[in-house]
Amino acid sequence: MTASTATTKVIPENDFFIPPSCILGAINPSTEVIITRIFDLLGLRWKAAGVGPESQCTCCTGILSHGDIMSIESTLLVVARLWSVAAEMGFENISPACVTSFAIHTECFEMYEHEPELTVKVDRWLQEACGRRLVIPKHIVHASDVVYRYRETLAQNFMKHRLVDKTDGRPLRVVDHVGCHYAKVFPEKSIGGADWCDVLAGAIRSWGGENVDYPERRHCCGMGFRQCMIRPNRGYTMACVLKKLESMEPWAPEAILTNCPGCNVMLDKEQWAVKELTGKTYDIPTLSYTELAGLLLGWDPYGVVGIQAHTVPIEPLLDKIGIPYDRSKEWQPEAQQDIELAGVRA
Amino acid sequence: MSRQFPQKADTGSKASDDLLSEGHEGLRKIPDNEMIASYERVRDHQVQTGQDRTYPNIRRLHGTPFEREKDRREVRALLEKPNEMQAWYQMARTQPCTWWIKNHLVARHALKSCLACGVCTSQCPAAQYYEEYNPRAIVDIALSEDEARLVELLKSETLWYCGQCGSCKPKCSRENNLMGLISSLRFLAQLKGYHLASVRGRQQYAARHLWGGNLWNRACSLYFRNVTSAGHPDFGPRYADYHADIDRQMTRLGANPDSSGQLGGRKVPPETLAELRRCVTWGGTLVLWQRLEELALEDARAVGISIDEYHDQVRSEG
Repeated sequence: MTASTATTKVIPENDFFIPPSCILGAINPSTEVIITRIFDLLGLRWKAAGVGPESQCTCCTGILSHGDIMSIESTLLVVARLWSVAAEMGFENISPACVTSFAIHTECFEMYEHEPELTVKVDRWLQEACGRRLVIPKHIVHASDVVYRYRETLAQNFMKHRLVDKTDGRPLRVVDHVGCHYAKVFPEKSIGGADWCDVLAGAIRSWGGENVDYPERRHCCGMGFRQCMIRPNRGYTMACVLKKLESMEPWAPEAILTNCPGCNVMLDKEQWAVKELTGKTYDIPTLSYTELAGLLLGWDPYGVVGIQAHTVPIEPLLDKIGIPYDRSKEWQPEAQQDIELAGVRA
Repeated sequence: MSRQFPQKADTGSKASDDLLSEGHEGLRKIPDNEMIASYERVRDHQVQTGQDRTYPNIRRLHGTPFEREKDRREVRALLEKPNEMQAWYQMARTQPCTWWIKNHLVARHALKSCLACGVCTSQCPAAQYYEEYNPRAIVDIALSEDEARLVELLKSETLWYCGQCGSCKPKCSRENNLMGLISSLRFLAQLKGYHLASVRGRQQYAARHLWGGNLWNRACSLYFRNVTSAGHPDFGPRYADYHADIDRQMTRLGANPDSSGQLGGRKVPPETLAELRRCVTWGGTLVLWQRLEELALEDARAVGISIDEYHDQVRSEG
């Protein structure tokens, strides 16, 4: 590890409360499910629901907060309630599946540090609102931080495939796109900071690939909340994706790796819009860190990893690595026992 | 997998079916308690599917005039006796903009000083896309304490251009948080009604009912049925195939579409939703939602359209 990728961030070894992601749940559900499957594989203790089988977990308000329709005090209370649910189950570590959630939880955490009197106020409000108490967690880490911590363990003990060309063992060229709300909002809370963030680059190296730099590596994907979700504003999103694609093209990347739910959606799906608008086909497979891990672990590309949810076909990348897939399963759900045979605790 | 996904579910009563097809004008005659009870009865109608419970009516309720009108009634009732933060936001909206910048929790932490170096603008994705956008100018106006310039900013189109990515934050040598400042100013613009002066500001009424409706009714900000292929032609034909089969695909991947469970698409139990709503309520957000409602209604009346037509119009304008 070079000085530029060094980090002093503490990533706890075990025990994670995982608030699910609204964007992943809506558009890339497998990415989130695979987090829990990887944690299971590593023997980690985690929980995403609450004390009972039904979920006590809600949205963190991230999209509403950045969409400017939620007060900061409501956000503080909703997050404090989630922390209380975690504490109720004995969890001190919050590990959101979503990058914006990671920033929202961290922002709340930081606010209590900057304004200690807020803790008294929010604790009182939380008691009055729902009879709960404010319990500030010990650690807030994104789920990709945990995968980063165990990247070598995954590679050495569990992965069936490497991120290399099966024909000659050449490391595949992969560009990373770290979510802005992971590395830019609180750079000191990310692995390596805003400019040389290592959370994905480290995984690419450990799993056999070559991390490729390019000029617009740090440019936002353009999701922008009100930009991508309110249709007339979406030109901004497409322009940001195009800027990144044009910038990375000379380096001939064979995949894009993401850790943010929104980036995974935009960088994948807007490639189709870019093709329609410019006539230029990029078709660079775009995967989240858990989707890539799942594929390298040998989990079923359709039944577990869900590559059929992607706009840019992932199959050419599978061919390059030598990961087998059965195209007949793309839209045809398989029997439950087939998923279990794939080595996954469903 | 043997799980079945009903495409058209029974709402449980003829009256509820009628409410689902009503527009705002027809719904006005229904008393609050009857409307809310009817909504909850429809929402909580469940079908046992193996070991899971599926709630097949959620798809029929989301984003409907019925849901929006029910939400309006609930919000109005919860503001009858303002709590501490609701009272604060009601008071704050009558104060000068400069007062807000010095007192709002986000704004007062967001802005320290400015060297006018322009690094925020030089690498801002929004400034690269919108030629007229300049975040440094927003800082300049915020620091000027010039009320007229602030009001002009709050009425502007450019206030809404920031993508909230935070790219500027780690680069600012004064550690300003422009993303937070801009979000705080947008909040104020809506409280004061200045957002109606811009196309992108008016979109906030649709945003409130999209994200706010999801949060208030489904404990999420984005509901998986929102991201349709018709609404997202930019996502391409493969996504259209995926979304056409969304219930089966989500279930096969381990998610919980409109059903009990822990992950994507889950329906949270009523007690979880009630706790969430109380947190949102205590934090003062409903003052903003009520203001958006009142102002949208005034704006709709001024142009002679219904509130439902207004909702659809501001969502597609721009």
